[in-house]
Amino acid sequence: MVRFFLWFLLLQATLFGLELTPWVQEWFVVPWTNTLAATSAGLVKLFDPEVLATGKVLQSASNGFAVSIEAGCNGVEATIVLVAAILAFPAGWKRKLIGLAAGIVAVQGLNIVRVISLFYIGQWNFNVFEWVHLYVWQALIMLDVLIVWLLWVRTLPRAAPATAA
Amino acid sequence: MRANSLGRFVLRVIAWLPLTFACWYLAAPLFVWPVAVLSEIVTRNAFGDLVKTVEQNGPLLNFITSLRPGQATSGAKTVLEVECNVLLFTFGLPMLAALILAAREPHRVRHLLIGYAVLLPLQTFSVVADFLKNAAILAGPAVASQIGFTSLQREAIAFSYQFGTLILPTVAPAVVWVLMHRRFLESFAGREGE
Repeated sequence: MVRFFLWFLLLQATLFGLELTPWVQEWFVVPWTNTLAATSAGLVKLFDPEVLATGKVLQSASNGFAVSIEAGCNGVEATIVLVAAILAFPAGWKRKLIGLAAGIVAVQGLNIVRVISLFYIGQWNFNVFEWVHLYVWQALIMLDVLIVWLLWVRTLPRAAPATAA
Repeated sequence: MRANSLGRFVLRVIAWLPLTFACWYLAAPLFVWPVAVLSEIVTRNAFGDLVKTVEQNGPLLNFITSLRPGQATSGAKTVLEVECNVLLFTFGLPMLAALILAAREPHRVRHLLIGYAVLLPLQTFSVVADFLKNAAILAGPAVASQIGFTSLQREAIAFSYQFGTLILPTVAPAVVWVLMHRRFLESFAGREGE
């Protein structure tokens, strides 16, 4: 357990430091965030055609309300935590890769729900939007990461020998 | 807890969250007070006379500095005051409480108290980093020049602020919970401890 946590903290700090570099911001974080906005808009358009995505901004054409997906809301940090937790945990590489693929889909899937829900909550009541945006969804996304990680740990063989991460 | 009860555990967490969030929000001045005290101790000892005092107003902290605002005019406030919303860095508390209560392990009250105590210095770190970011980076060059931080120190402040805002508030409670529930996790995973 101690070894797992040391690896987890090291990986997380390294990945987070990388995320903040201009190169990663330009070539990964910004395109990722724009894709998230476009995906969210694409899903919303299934039932609400009055929605536009411009860059990282999701906007209602009918009333002008818009949300901008900023750092902390694009799911990148949550994904970093999940990646660090899976890579640090003793398991075979095949299982780690499967866990990473499924886990990232699960975390980003809920993050799309977060973006879409905030888009509509903001149009309904801005005070509620602030509360849910700043506190509730932040906690729920990390809870999602924890649950996904627990589910992945549960799939590991019961008597599997520990291997170095 | 049996290994096949993850779904019920998650449902219990979700059920506890509204209550723990309500308690956290309503009792915020109480929870924030130790952070205010620690923040004042840290800033007054680590940064000379940069901070005169830290005042608490509900969940908000007001850092009264010795810095002159860049656009000060006669009759205006002569010192820079930096406001910090501590709730932004403590919302992991209700999440931790919900996890502890939902796990139904023994010593829940002790775990709640230990978790709160462990998170306090981390929350203080986030608050101090937020104050430094506002004072040394966002307040403008006139204020920054009075503080005299080097570019490397400003980079460190920016990184600390990002880490203290985007990672610590959510990850720290989860890590604390995992550390306090190792037996639960090991039985859950069906594995022996490392």
